[in-house]
Amino acid sequence: MKNPLRKRLLRELRSDFGKYAVIFLLLVLSISEISGFLVAAESMIAAYDESFEKYNIEDGNFTAEEKMSPRRIRAAEELDISVYELFYSDQTAAGGQTIRIFKMREDINLACLMDGRIPEAENEIALDRMFADNNGLRSGDPIEIGGKRWLISGLVALSDYSTMFENNNDMMFDSKMFGVSVVTPEAFSQIPEEDLVWRYAWKYDAFPATTAEEIDVSDALAYDLNRIVPLTGFVPRYANQAIMFTGDDIGSDRAGMTMFLYIIIVIIAFVFTVTTSNTIVKEAGVIGTLRSMGYTKKELICHFMTLPVIVSLAAALAGNVLGYTVLKKVNADLYYGSYSLPTYVTLWNASAFIETTVVPLALMLIINFLLLSVRLRYSPLQFLRRDLTRKKKSRAVRLPRFLPFFSRFRLRIFFQNISNYVLLFVGILFANTLLMFGLMFPDVLQNYQESVPDDMLAEHQYVLQLPAGAVDEDNKVSSLLEMLYFESEVDTENEDAEKFSAYTLKTLKTQWIKDDEVLLYGIVPDSRYLNLSLKEGDVYISGSFAEKEMLSPGDSFTMKEVYEDDTYDFTVTGIYPYHGALCIFMRQDDLNGMFDLGEDTFSGYFSETPITDIDRKYIGQEIDYSSLTKVSRQLTISMGGMMKVVDAFAVIMFVIMIYLMSKIIIEKNAQSISMTKILGYSDSEISRLYILVTSIYVIAVMVLSIPPVSAVIQWLFAVIIRMEMSGWIPFRISNAVYRTMILMGSVSYLLIAALEYRKVRGVPMGDALKNTE
Amino acid sequence: MFLEVKGIKKAFGEGSSRVEVLKGIDLALERGEFCVLLGPSGSGKSTLLNIIGGIDSADEGEIFIGGEPMGKMKEKQLTMYRRQHLGYIFQMYNLIPNLTVRENIEVGAYLSKNPLNIDEILQTLGLAEHAGKLPSQLSGGQQQRTAIGRAIVKNPDILLCDEPTGALDYKTSKEILKLIETVNQTYGNTVVMVTHNDAIKNMADRVIRLRDGQVRDNRVNTAKIPAEELEW
Repeated sequence: MKNPLRKRLLRELRSDFGKYAVIFLLLVLSISEISGFLVAAESMIAAYDESFEKYNIEDGNFTAEEKMSPRRIRAAEELDISVYELFYSDQTAAGGQTIRIFKMREDINLACLMDGRIPEAENEIALDRMFADNNGLRSGDPIEIGGKRWLISGLVALSDYSTMFENNNDMMFDSKMFGVSVVTPEAFSQIPEEDLVWRYAWKYDAFPATTAEEIDVSDALAYDLNRIVPLTGFVPRYANQAIMFTGDDIGSDRAGMTMFLYIIIVIIAFVFTVTTSNTIVKEAGVIGTLRSMGYTKKELICHFMTLPVIVSLAAALAGNVLGYTVLKKVNADLYYGSYSLPTYVTLWNASAFIETTVVPLALMLIINFLLLSVRLRYSPLQFLRRDLTRKKKSRAVRLPRFLPFFSRFRLRIFFQNISNYVLLFVGILFANTLLMFGLMFPDVLQNYQESVPDDMLAEHQYVLQLPAGAVDEDNKVSSLLEMLYFESEVDTENEDAEKFSAYTLKTLKTQWIKDDEVLLYGIVPDSRYLNLSLKEGDVYISGSFAEKEMLSPGDSFTMKEVYEDDTYDFTVTGIYPYHGALCIFMRQDDLNGMFDLGEDTFSGYFSETPITDIDRKYIGQEIDYSSLTKVSRQLTISMGGMMKVVDAFAVIMFVIMIYLMSKIIIEKNAQSISMTKILGYSDSEISRLYILVTSIYVIAVMVLSIPPVSAVIQWLFAVIIRMEMSGWIPFRISNAVYRTMILMGSVSYLLIAALEYRKVRGVPMGDALKNTE
Repeated sequence: MFLEVKGIKKAFGEGSSRVEVLKGIDLALERGEFCVLLGPSGSGKSTLLNIIGGIDSADEGEIFIGGEPMGKMKEKQLTMYRRQHLGYIFQMYNLIPNLTVRENIEVGAYLSKNPLNIDEILQTLGLAEHAGKLPSQLSGGQQQRTAIGRAIVKNPDILLCDEPTGALDYKTSKEILKLIETVNQTYGNTVVMVTHNDAIKNMADRVIRLRDGQVRDNRVNTAKIPAEELEW
């Protein structure tokens, strides 16, 4: 004979449909999103990993100062590598975007055609698919680049540009203002040679076995190549952000999303146990009778666990189906919005199934089992006597007499339901944290973008690029000549220009803070651009550097050479209120002396107006509004969609928690509500008693949770930026975020309060007179 | 003897608030005997019933069922003992609200390897036409009859009834008592019924009076009358 108690399950489900429906919905939403995300991420990662071989991705690239002759290429290939031409030209499109034009690749870093066809005519160009998406361009559209009209023949993904890093040392990629493209060899040959960058890719004859070996081999290769041809750039594959960033980023997202799911599952499991606990209290007599008759504790635990587990199982299955169908595409599109990945094939993903189905179900089972074991630990007699507390009955809390009767009544209701209110507190806190995270992110980025113009050191900063020949230790005469020529070429007539020296060092990587390249400025005395009177030996750090590295005046820190192991120690004299970049300010002569740069050496200019009389090839980096806001711009594009999802989720979570808890409180008090009705209280008076307590509590928790939630978010934000990103974005949020939070919370609560009011009105007077279960 | 209670003592509380509820109870019942435990409130009769039922424990003394001592049984064994040998009827019906009458009785049947025929029980209890109703659709008497059905369907060796008519009116109480009597006669279960209603003693084979935690009187009822003829 099957256990007749199972017949209750369907009826229980029907009678408490609202509760189970919202929990089911919440689980489906979370599981489908995470499952869709994991399937998309794994499929993307697989496509990305496969692309190395499929599209023959380079082992590294270098940029030569001039085109290499066949003899030099042969000499380079004697270093156990194959060299491939990868020339390009950066040109500006009509919308101000920079488009890097390559010749159609045939042997290395092949392109994956995503739409349309590859260029065939001289006026045809195939644009990067993501750049086109982000700029509203399609196959067949015309586009003006570098003053020439092109026709977009198709959209491609270039395997060496899955992330749009214009320069490898950029803090962040920019998929809106920078894109890559390919054209026919004929079209490419029409680009004047002076506009070309002489980049070459290489493949090792035998790829180094380990990353450590790869680093050693590439270091040696850089040195040897520089002796064959002067290099202006050298990027081995492991250090190439445009190739490697995608893989790292997708991997790190995965952990965060999975953790998010588990938090939700734990909360839902607790909701289940609270509602089940309520049922246990309600059915104490029945449970006592069943236990007296010989039902074992295990049988009852199984009985009370069945419905939560069935609901979770159904939700996990529905979530997986939705995840694999609808949300996989949504998530893949989010990735396609940030990364230029080749087409992917959906892969059956066992680990996604385990993480979104097996683990949540196991969590649900374990939490329910443990809590039910505790709730059902009482003896049959205790159940029969409804004596379900280990503690001695505490006396009623003394309430001051001066409080009006209604207030005391409400306080009694509050104390009676304290456990539900505690869970509600946790739920609101979690939902508010999510809501704030979702609302804060765009706001912080917006604030950062808006604060940049007021915070810039100068409208324009130019960091000059020294030709490689100018630092040839083996040929000092030629080096000196190169230097003299360079200095004459980088002089400017612009009266706004102010020279500075610069040197780049790297911070030391720690477990909690990612290493960063930091620009050290050597400032001239009485600078027009920095409000600092630097004394000898002074070291000022930018506000963002101080915040990221958690440094204060008087603190010491150590930095190292970017490609070498030499280290330098500094002591912070003060903090300069500049948040545009991580940088250090010292006297120019101090900096030149520290790095043996020569007394009159300078590395760049601050200027209020653009400097137009220096050849672009001598400008390594231009720091202006656009480059300083690259990070926030990119994050807005890549995270904006996700934040809306988080907001929606938070609101749903909030509504569900309040709905469930207030429902339980009213159900628990159905008999008292019924009795008050018999005594002659009106529905609105009863609502004032039973709903107002929850209303006051919800609003108080919503408001009071803001400071701790804000602190947690600020901490979390700082941790994420420190660990995951180069640079720093200060955490500044506007009051609008708090207002929106309270508004969204209040509107959601109003909806629930209306439902509660209906429920209170629906409690029949007969309830008070029933003596049955 | 089928059921033997020897020297059972039970106290609640500690120190000055310690109350001795049972002060050494001895009694013995034959298989199939109908025993009524009488006594005023606080005399310890429900406590004794709970100890016999294995849902409460004695401080001292021993209970033997069919010669087997209960005292050494662990929690799990006690549950199995209740499952295999006992049926409980309480003053509160404690029916499962979202199961029908038939299903509530099935809840009892599930525990037995050889349950009685549910349809027969429904007939005997006069519940056949209400079999598909939920407890909320029944009167108090009908609910208590369902609770009896649930207790007897597993054909227990001992039927423990704790004030089964305490919440019922005179007419319904008599109906319930008649049913318990029928069950006792039809299925031969040993019945121990706790009541403070003195009139009920007349339908019992044995009447035990408790007062102040002690057996004041324990005798065989030689003038047994059918439940039908009880008056109070």
